[in-house]
Amino acid sequence: MLFAWMLLIVFLALIACMFEDLESDTGSQSNPNSQVQLAPQVGQVNRFFNKAISGEAPSYAMYCTIAGVVAYVLLSKDVNPLLAIPIGALVGEAIHVIFSVTAHVGRTAAQKRFEQPIYLDVLYGHLLPIMTHGFMATLCITAIAYIQSNIGSLSGMPALNHPFALPMLGFIWGITVGAIGSSTGDIHYGAEREFQDRPFGEGKRVVYHGKITRYADCGVRTQKDIVYFCAKYGGPVTGLTFGVIILFENWRSLVGMMLSGYLPGVQATAGSMTAIIGIGVGLVIGIALIVGNVVIVKWARKRYGPFVGE
Amino acid sequence: MDPIILYIVACVLVGGVLASLGVHLLPVGGAPAAMATATGVATGTVMLMLGAAMCGLFTAASVATYTSNIWLVALSGAVASWLMMGVTMLLANLLYVFGAGVVPVSGRVDMDPITKESQKEYKTPQCDGHGVPNVSFISGMIGALLGGFGGALMYFALLKYANFEPTMAGVAAMGIFVANAIIAAYNIGGTIEGFQDPKFKRLPKAILTCGIISLLSGVLVWVVANMGGLIL
Repeated sequence: MLFAWMLLIVFLALIACMFEDLESDTGSQSNPNSQVQLAPQVGQVNRFFNKAISGEAPSYAMYCTIAGVVAYVLLSKDVNPLLAIPIGALVGEAIHVIFSVTAHVGRTAAQKRFEQPIYLDVLYGHLLPIMTHGFMATLCITAIAYIQSNIGSLSGMPALNHPFALPMLGFIWGITVGAIGSSTGDIHYGAEREFQDRPFGEGKRVVYHGKITRYADCGVRTQKDIVYFCAKYGGPVTGLTFGVIILFENWRSLVGMMLSGYLPGVQATAGSMTAIIGIGVGLVIGIALIVGNVVIVKWARKRYGPFVGE
Repeated sequence: MDPIILYIVACVLVGGVLASLGVHLLPVGGAPAAMATATGVATGTVMLMLGAAMCGLFTAASVATYTSNIWLVALSGAVASWLMMGVTMLLANLLYVFGAGVVPVSGRVDMDPITKESQKEYKTPQCDGHGVPNVSFISGMIGALLGGFGGALMYFALLKYANFEPTMAGVAAMGIFVANAIIAAYNIGGTIEGFQDPKFKRLPKAILTCGIISLLSGVLVWVVANMGGLIL
């Protein structure tokens, strides 16, 4: 039963991080937004949604904590979790949309001197996708926090409940999901989709900066064309990152608990052994990751070869 | 003097200094890395370290419920951070290689000091490197290990020696961690590739500053715990 709940957490983590990354593409939230911001200054007036409220990690920590606090309060009033968690996520997203409007309008208004207009259809048309993508991410994170803070009670071993309160877990996973979405997912949007008319297979040179691809397959490009592209590779890989992290984290703890005899029955004497096995398994996985990176780098060097071109 | 004061202050001091050291070892490329214009992971220094440390904090809090050995708790936190960083950098590299078609190279050194692979001819001109090369990957793993260890050590000191409530201990440990990470981020000025980067030589200044800040934080924790009646 414990294992089943852990797998559910992993699945929710995968969904959460994927939607978090796609939301950051829909709203142009994170690092690649520096180019959207720069574009009008180099004469590239565009129809991108310019929303950089803050770094993804602090902003998602905020939405998830708000969602967690609202859910926590509702749960303490004996509201069913199936109702309390979505209501919490909805409140978090209401704040998200308010910040999206102020961030986009404020930033674009500041670019008046570069003749960048505020397109109202861009503003209205993107708020709903931002909210829905963000809602999925916040909902999944709040659900993860709820399950983890009650995992012992849910699986019949109350001693295994996580010591942190639900809002704190929402905060922790909000920070982590934002950090991963920002560090992994941004690459597909920033290095590829934002500069799609530049040569593929090379780093984007400093002279290209600000000169983003403004035209889509049909018509003028907005964020909606970007999210459809990034959902094919960048989003799922980002989701996989968070899913794999949660999987390894939980799996090594569970392996430690099983091998040391901590479970079933929660034998307190086996606690230290559980931790030692968990640490050992974690170190082995980490070394495997280093080897994986060596293999990928070697493959890329061989397959792509030295830089050719100007 | 009560030895508990020494324990609390020492753990917070060591935790803070390790956090600062960990941040210096992470390969962080900031916004340019998202465009494959700089080497490293495409996010801010503090955000990345905090993401890794939060993973560590989560696991450390779980482990602290079934063991009261400080080293095991701190090491569990360290390994959680190390896994988080490892998976993040590996999958970021997958995106660089298969999504953008770039070869991970370092922009600061001509030859990878660990694998001895040459870097210069693989680098795009007018770029400061791209992707996460092996040396940066290993540097980042070590950084996450140290940072996670520091964060978990602080958490344990607050939880067991200063008798904070678990959630409160988590919030306080994170606060001290963030302060140290931000000082380190200022010191490296946005981007760093790891220990092979010339910016790494600025480390002593950050260690000194973070040492002073952590010392003050440690004393503050003790004052709060003592005045709040948590230490009897």
